[in-house]
Amino acid sequence: MATKLGDWMDDRTGWRTHHATIFLRKIPKINWSYTLGSATLFTMFIQIVTGILLTLYYVPEPQQAYASVSYITNELPFGWLIRGLHHWGASAMVLLVVLHMVRVIIYGAYKYPREFTWITGVALLLLTFAFGFTGYLLPWDQRAYWATVVGTQIGEVTPVVGDTLRAVMLGGEEISGLTLTRFYGAHVWVLPSLLLLLVGIHIFLVIRNGITSVPKRGE
Amino acid sequence: MKKEEREAYLENYEEEKKKGVPFWPDIIFKDSIVAFIIFIALVALAYFVGASLEEIADPSDATYTPRPEWYFLFLFQLLKFFPGDLEVIGVIVLPVIAIVFLILLPWIDRSSRRHPAGRPVVIGVTVFGMVAAVFLTVQAVEEAPPPGGTTAEGDRTAALYVDNCAGCHGSTVAVAPGTDLFAVISAGTHEGMPSWNADLAADEIDALVGFILAPRGNEVFASSCAGCHTADELIEADAIELRNALEAGSGYPPHETLDVPEWSEVLSSAEQGQLLNFLTAPDGQRLWTQQCSSCHGRSVAFAGTTEELREVVVQGGGHLDMPAFGATLGDADIEILANYVTDPASTPEGEQLFAQSCASCHAQRIPRVESFDEAVQAIALGGAHEDMPVWGEILTDEQTDALVAYVAEAAERPDLASGQELYAQNCANCHGEFGEGGLNPARSDDIIAPISTAEYLRTRDDQTLRAIISQGQPNFGMSPFGSAFGGPLSDDQVDELVAFMRAWEANPPVELPPEVEDVPQPTASGQEVYGQLCAQCHGQLGQGGIGTAFADPSWQSANSDRDIFDAVNLGHEATAMIAWGEVLTSQQIEQLVVHIRTFESSGSTAGPPTYDGAVSSIFEESCTACHGSLGGWTGTSYEEALNTGQGGPTIIPGDPDNSRLVQTMIDTHPDGVIMPPAGLLPDDTVQIIIDWVAAGAPER
Repeated sequence: MATKLGDWMDDRTGWRTHHATIFLRKIPKINWSYTLGSATLFTMFIQIVTGILLTLYYVPEPQQAYASVSYITNELPFGWLIRGLHHWGASAMVLLVVLHMVRVIIYGAYKYPREFTWITGVALLLLTFAFGFTGYLLPWDQRAYWATVVGTQIGEVTPVVGDTLRAVMLGGEEISGLTLTRFYGAHVWVLPSLLLLLVGIHIFLVIRNGITSVPKRGE
Repeated sequence: MKKEEREAYLENYEEEKKKGVPFWPDIIFKDSIVAFIIFIALVALAYFVGASLEEIADPSDATYTPRPEWYFLFLFQLLKFFPGDLEVIGVIVLPVIAIVFLILLPWIDRSSRRHPAGRPVVIGVTVFGMVAAVFLTVQAVEEAPPPGGTTAEGDRTAALYVDNCAGCHGSTVAVAPGTDLFAVISAGTHEGMPSWNADLAADEIDALVGFILAPRGNEVFASSCAGCHTADELIEADAIELRNALEAGSGYPPHETLDVPEWSEVLSSAEQGQLLNFLTAPDGQRLWTQQCSSCHGRSVAFAGTTEELREVVVQGGGHLDMPAFGATLGDADIEILANYVTDPASTPEGEQLFAQSCASCHAQRIPRVESFDEAVQAIALGGAHEDMPVWGEILTDEQTDALVAYVAEAAERPDLASGQELYAQNCANCHGEFGEGGLNPARSDDIIAPISTAEYLRTRDDQTLRAIISQGQPNFGMSPFGSAFGGPLSDDQVDELVAFMRAWEANPPVELPPEVEDVPQPTASGQEVYGQLCAQCHGQLGQGGIGTAFADPSWQSANSDRDIFDAVNLGHEATAMIAWGEVLTSQQIEQLVVHIRTFESSGSTAGPPTYDGAVSSIFEESCTACHGSLGGWTGTSYEEALNTGQGGPTIIPGDPDNSRLVQTMIDTHPDGVIMPPAGLLPDDTVQIIIDWVAAGAPER
């Protein structure tokens, strides 16, 4: 029965070939440092799941943003867990993505034929920082607000476009409700779309080109 | 990488794969273990540490110490190595270089070598980058200021620093040599640093400057002086006294009866220097203001080289020998000069002589001598300037450097003092002493907007200002001031004026008028607030000036309490009347209204109502709605009010009984017409019109 269903599905989707390509492919002998990439992917999933759960209660409007985060943290059953995981997951993701990158550099894994994989990786690193920056404002507490004040003032130094850039980011001269909705929009719509697209390409390329083997001395 | 190398790599990789393991289950198993560990760690962090939530964001709380998230700390710390204009390097240049390096890495490292031992450059750069990032992060965390209020008891200066500076600057600030730090702190910068002069007193800023420029000095102060002195007390003291006290030790008169050690033995000379640098910060501009300007005035003039300048400062009066002019000038000339230095205004002919004989050393500063005889003697005999201290023995090296650097630079700048004088003579009459504007004497009903606001100055370049001053603004009643357009000022003088106006930009006087040194206490009564703030423009007795005369009874009757309250609370745009509601409490404004009302009775001698005063506003409120557009009589201007009307003048000055205007307003008109048609105005309002017509219907 199961075989029959499997055959039927395979005929329509070709899943056995995909399954074989993804799961049955052979991997060169590697060490534990090669788990950093999948660990980053795992924290990304934690961020996505907890992030979606947070949006069920979060309201991107200054007074209510703070009140809703306070509600999530203090009153919602397991709200502390969801926000805690999202908060610490963000730090973990930054840490893991940097370590992953260092591992790739040390083993020369950005070289032929994986140059494009590397470039998507650099973009993903920058995206991760952008997530951190936009997400930090959302609780709308003192720490969030003032870190964003300092952060955006620093960016203002950019020659020529600095002022404009800051005004576009903030939605005006000052941090306001407009800034909050902008950061929220970036954090839950723009950045995740880019992230999923790039992660898809990144993983496709990892499977297509295979993971680097640990280089031997003299190689 | 060459084609053969690429093929060899792929071939070798196939071999490696054959020797390897399948993704499922071997690799997935390892990944799952790591994922599980990470998940447990995150749950533990969420449970034991949690995600904090501070107070709700308060944009008005500038004392909050902002910190970015930890993974941005290295960037934040990096910025401290690039103060001032260099900031752009830390903010843009280095990050962009790093990102471009990462993106281009596969093309920078093109060799076929993959083992780290074969790629020393890339590995070296990476290790350096990571070590630097970790180092900067650790440094930033260590420098994290202790939360305000937890600093050592008694070290007020450090507490000031922690409360006001450490949030953005960390535990130390790198200051470029030659920075006028006092000016920077008090006026702020365009890079986002606020101006502190409203929040900090001058001696507090002095203390901060000393603390920032000589942090070790604060420690020496804390261990050696703080037992008896507060920092403010010594920071206010004269640099000469401080040096005396330090060198004389127990011999310093106020210390004689105390058990004070010989400082020159207890403290190393480096420590002494640091202490003096802390108490009198090596900030050139500030040193000039505190130590030199009492004799040399505000304008800094020196025409020689920096070395000569240093010598003059270091050697002080001991070096400056004035020749005995008795040998070269005649008695008459010496007499003229002596008169000139005693009272320059009375001896105009002295100016030329002074320029010839004295200005090479004295520049534009005229030495002031009290008595004529003393002056004659000093000029004729010459000699050393006994009264200029030998600064080389008083100032530390850092202080001398800063002072010399400041004077050398400031002497190149346009002379603000003469610009200020020109401004006072030519401009202040209409534009106000601080460029705050006021009523336009050339055009009635026109208010001259402030010219000293940051906005005004930012939106006009020097060329525009020069053109406005030289050519005037005939449409607004400003006559040309440039000599090319028939005005009194030369091009150089116009430039000096522009430079003087530019000096406002750093610290615009018209955000709050500068006379508002302290915001009144919330407990100050209406009368006190009036004396402190309002009287400057409206007169102590409400007699008016730049501002409206409150004593004018017609003004009093034309404005309700609500009107006055709103005017004080909201201000008038583009005038020096700011929205005081931001400074005063509403109770204070209510008291002010009461106080302003007290001028009503005292001002009964201020004269009859005038068109400009009370009458025009009555017309505007009660008549213009219909009469402005329906034709017939109209009161929108003085001329029209007197000269328009159906079948003859509506107003006969001096004769209210026969003026149609008055007749319609008191229902004595032969045709029974009443105005306004909806019902007569209140008696006191009508009385103003009657008084006005009876007084001959004056315009102002």
